[in-house]
Amino acid sequence: MAELDYKTLLESNSYLRNLSDTTYWLCITRTVQESKLFPMNPYMLLSYLNSFYTLPTLLREIDAALPAEELGDRAREVSLKVNTVNAAWAMPTFYLLGREMLMNWGLLRPTDAVEDVVDVLDFSRRFNLAYHRNDAHVSNKEFGDRSQFLPERTLQVLEADLHGVNPGDRLHSAAVKLLAQLSQYAFLAHCECRIGLHNSGPYNFGENRQMIVRDFFELTEGDYPWLDGIATRLPFPNLTIPLVFRNTNFHLMDDWASFEAEPSYDAANIVAVGMYTSDALSDGYLPVGMDNADALAETMEAYREILNEATADLWKRIATWTREQMIDAGALVYSSVVKDFAHVAGTYRQDDWLLLDDRVQRFKPLMNDEYGRDNLAELVGLLGLPQQKANEYTMARYSGLNQHTLTGIPYSVLVDNDYAPTCGDALSGATSLEVKTGLWSTTAGRLELDEFNRRAREFRPAVLAEPYRFLDEEWVKWHHNDPRADELYRLGQRGSRNLADRGAGLRRADLPRAD
Amino acid sequence: MSDSAPAAPKWGSVEMLPMSARFNSAVREAAATRLANLDGAWQDIVFARQFELFSRADAEAVEQAVLDTGYRFQSSATASLRDEPHKYKQPERAAAGFSEGELSDGRRQVGVGDNVIRKSATVVGPVALISQIEQVMAYLADGVPPGTIAVIDDSGGTLTAPILEGFAGVICLGGTIRSHLGILAREYDVPTLMNCRIDALRDGDTVEIEVTIAPPAADAYETGDTGHARIWKIESGG
Repeated sequence: MAELDYKTLLESNSYLRNLSDTTYWLCITRTVQESKLFPMNPYMLLSYLNSFYTLPTLLREIDAALPAEELGDRAREVSLKVNTVNAAWAMPTFYLLGREMLMNWGLLRPTDAVEDVVDVLDFSRRFNLAYHRNDAHVSNKEFGDRSQFLPERTLQVLEADLHGVNPGDRLHSAAVKLLAQLSQYAFLAHCECRIGLHNSGPYNFGENRQMIVRDFFELTEGDYPWLDGIATRLPFPNLTIPLVFRNTNFHLMDDWASFEAEPSYDAANIVAVGMYTSDALSDGYLPVGMDNADALAETMEAYREILNEATADLWKRIATWTREQMIDAGALVYSSVVKDFAHVAGTYRQDDWLLLDDRVQRFKPLMNDEYGRDNLAELVGLLGLPQQKANEYTMARYSGLNQHTLTGIPYSVLVDNDYAPTCGDALSGATSLEVKTGLWSTTAGRLELDEFNRRAREFRPAVLAEPYRFLDEEWVKWHHNDPRADELYRLGQRGSRNLADRGAGLRRADLPRAD
Repeated sequence: MSDSAPAAPKWGSVEMLPMSARFNSAVREAAATRLANLDGAWQDIVFARQFELFSRADAEAVEQAVLDTGYRFQSSATASLRDEPHKYKQPERAAAGFSEGELSDGRRQVGVGDNVIRKSATVVGPVALISQIEQVMAYLADGVPPGTIAVIDDSGGTLTAPILEGFAGVICLGGTIRSHLGILAREYDVPTLMNCRIDALRDGDTVEIEVTIAPPAADAYETGDTGHARIWKIESGG
């Protein structure tokens, strides 16, 4: 548990204010989504409340098993669902938005649950700093709307191994169609929200080329009960598709992991593509169908067919849901946004993440569509809740108005004691959805939960074991001739078609060209 | 008696929108009344006695108080109207968002929107108005007739998820080019106009969508520089 002292509060409030500013910018400029199928606004509001009541307890257990900094190290090396949009932005923001709602209702004061607030912010900051270690920023916004997580050893493997494509060839078509199907399916599996998709980068690939990394998560049986029996022919739960573009500048990669490009994203400008998978049990990215261009095209076509069928199957299942089931599913998708921390730490329990807390259930009668729409608009757009206003001299970042999305922690907690320091750690909830019965699909096969947790507790990626964990890019700069650098790079080159065992001495000019 | 409720925040007064103002004020009043009747300090009540401070029954009473006035809520999800019809207004036929233009060369302009993907030619086809799960289910079973241009009032990607790529074009009556439907249209390369305002269209009307126009600029939704792609209805004899 973080110390409650002046230094900690200063840092916590600064981190909170940055989240507040970034959230405002995202909601105002990047389009808050609505849906005719899912009652999104009600479920979003309920998810914030669920995060408030459950997240601190769950994060403390996870942090004790595997500290936030090490979780950041893991998330940096491969594509985990605890990423930019889910862990870096959504986790602390949803928690704090729940806090805003309760304060607005007079059911919480800004000093209450101060230990919970400080712990959530502390965990978030430590995770983000480690996650962003290679670009040394704490958020995409702080990096100017960019993210560069990957080290050179991984980037070189991608540059060497991605397959060159031209519009109209089999692999280009297969990749474009699979990306469309993955995006479609991810929105549906996640009740219209975008947390199943992730983009990062860009990375400079020279000669007016940039690479972005596109990730898609939770594609088959796992934590979501509604995916039991869906897409079971897919061998992996997650897919990562790096894409190299020519003549396209990805000038914005925001904290929702969405991008803007100039000229606009155009599949005709894709010049190289690959496919990988990773999860809590994989030792780095595992190549999928990467032996040659035809094998990759064939694999992508097969996955597209599986996911096309899965989209129809899942849609038919969801079409039978009641309004309450749609709301429960959406609220749980959102409030369980960092459940994969528990998978990585080996502490995952289904009831921790896929039940709507009893303290939240009591607010459901308020959540009709109109109130949901209007209260969400007040909370993240208009900033019209009375406590979101600041003194009249204030000029907030981006809006220039006297308002902030998120309320800080009063420093009076250091001298007063008229607050309850935590909301408590007893979790109890319910769901209107069917109970999960299927297995968990992982890179190590389909597992029972106990086995998944056991393997996760025992696993540590080779590049994070001694002596490699703290041998970062700055160290490589001065020690690229050191045997440890070669060993580290060879670990990253395992499974590479073109760079296996090549070591740390390569520059771009030494790499085979894909296009 | 417990601590009294704190004063209202100094620099804010009440919410800006009517339903949030109404509900949130009602919750605040209910909680303040309960607090005044509970013994103990705030810090011993806020979590330890939170269900006494506000319960599910209190939330139901807030909702019922509004319904008792005869008010019915605006719906957004079709499941809300389907499952709780007594709580929601029946959807009204939307007022035309565009005044149709003059007939010229056999076509009349009936709307505008924002183009997602610039194409080399406009797209012409018969309209299908799609807003219900049952319609999507029917298309899933029977297939989408070739050349169909869907008119959808949902900017999300899930209502039409299993059939989107079967459309020759999409007219979406909401959202922006960055909405999920806009993202998917780009991924599937389905000619699509988002943020459309149209005059009334009926199933079977033949329309032409101007997907040859450039997409809006990056800041268009902040500056209001939108709505440049035109939608025409092709009229017989044209």
